[in-house]
Amino acid sequence: MSTAAQHRMSKSKKARALEREAQRRRSQRFFAAGAAALVGLLVVAVVLTRPGESSDPSEQLAQTHPVSITGNSLPGLGELDEAVGMPIPEVTGEAFHGVPVSIERNGTPKMIVFLAHWCSHCRAEVPIIQSWIETEGMPEGIEIVSVSTSTDPGQANYPPSSWLESEGWAVPVIADDASSSVAAAFGVNSFPFFAFVDSDGTIHHRTSGELGIDHIERILSELR
Amino acid sequence: MAVETMNVFFALLTVVAMSLFLVCSGTLVWSRVSVHGQVALDRLRGSISNGGLMLAWSIALTATLGSLYYSEIANYTPCKLCWFQRIAMYPLVIILGVAALSNEHPIRRYVLPVVSIGGAISLYHYLLERFPSWASDGSCDPTAPCTTVWVWQFHFISIPFMALSGFAAIAILLWLMPSGSQGGEA
Repeated sequence: MSTAAQHRMSKSKKARALEREAQRRRSQRFFAAGAAALVGLLVVAVVLTRPGESSDPSEQLAQTHPVSITGNSLPGLGELDEAVGMPIPEVTGEAFHGVPVSIERNGTPKMIVFLAHWCSHCRAEVPIIQSWIETEGMPEGIEIVSVSTSTDPGQANYPPSSWLESEGWAVPVIADDASSSVAAAFGVNSFPFFAFVDSDGTIHHRTSGELGIDHIERILSELR
Repeated sequence: MAVETMNVFFALLTVVAMSLFLVCSGTLVWSRVSVHGQVALDRLRGSISNGGLMLAWSIALTATLGSLYYSEIANYTPCKLCWFQRIAMYPLVIILGVAALSNEHPIRRYVLPVVSIGGAISLYHYLLERFPSWASDGSCDPTAPCTTVWVWQFHFISIPFMALSGFAAIAILLWLMPSGSQGGEA
């Protein structure tokens, strides 16, 4: 190999070494800048979520309460509702604030609404029903009760008491227990869940999913 | 660290990723209508050719770790659409990592379709959260409904939006990258 060729090879090796060194420095700068940015954002996040004095009274409230259920549980809602005509279980429970609320076979037709705080369809349905109540008033001769169930602090839109309060929810609420016993007793298997109860205390109709007001009014007129 | 703190942290990262996407795509559009825009785009491409792959890999890694944090530490159950997005995002950590180490820019031909599919699913998931009535029967399955909004930060950021920002940032970085086999060749 000629001296000139050796010289060219040596220069080429040097150039590659310099390029590798430059790349190594770029990588180091990249990781240093990235790490600094991540730490900075983490500090901002910590500052933004620094615990202050809680002014939200709902944080002090128990979101689940013990319930007492008597009577047989209803089967889960399927294609054909086997629960139609069956007597509903009677429930004694409490609202979030501890006020007693019950579901009884007391001769009054009922609409029972089961809501889960994490369920987006429930979040869509609640303002619709609330707006209807504000416009039309509570339907005459019909008792409306809601059950806050499937409560989980690890899930979205917790706590349910804050959510329902922010919606101005005027319907009495039973806070179901941590095992969702009331929901299980009524055969709830998706949300929102509606149980329409005849005056004799038996199931007239059950359904799940968002319901329009027309649909609700039609069923309520059948109950009267 | 509290989940709420991590939510804000991931939301801030999302803002950074979405800003990166908007700046890059804005420059791309600007370059089509103005000479100054073309100059800005050339400058942007110059910087991306050096660290773009590494940055894209960092975004994929952060998104993957974030997703694992939510399912394994915060115990948020991933829904079906979450899994589809994971399928698109997780392999990018390996693919982009190897590509960044060997500075292989043609990788974008293989990665961009995956990123586009993942981004489309994220967008659909985000819209489903915003308009839950799109879901089949308008009811929530108690197991893991895709309409459940686990995280809601700054009035617009949810987990699918975080994923969407990650996919969008990776896509624009790869899109602007030189197409040659080595950085700086374009």
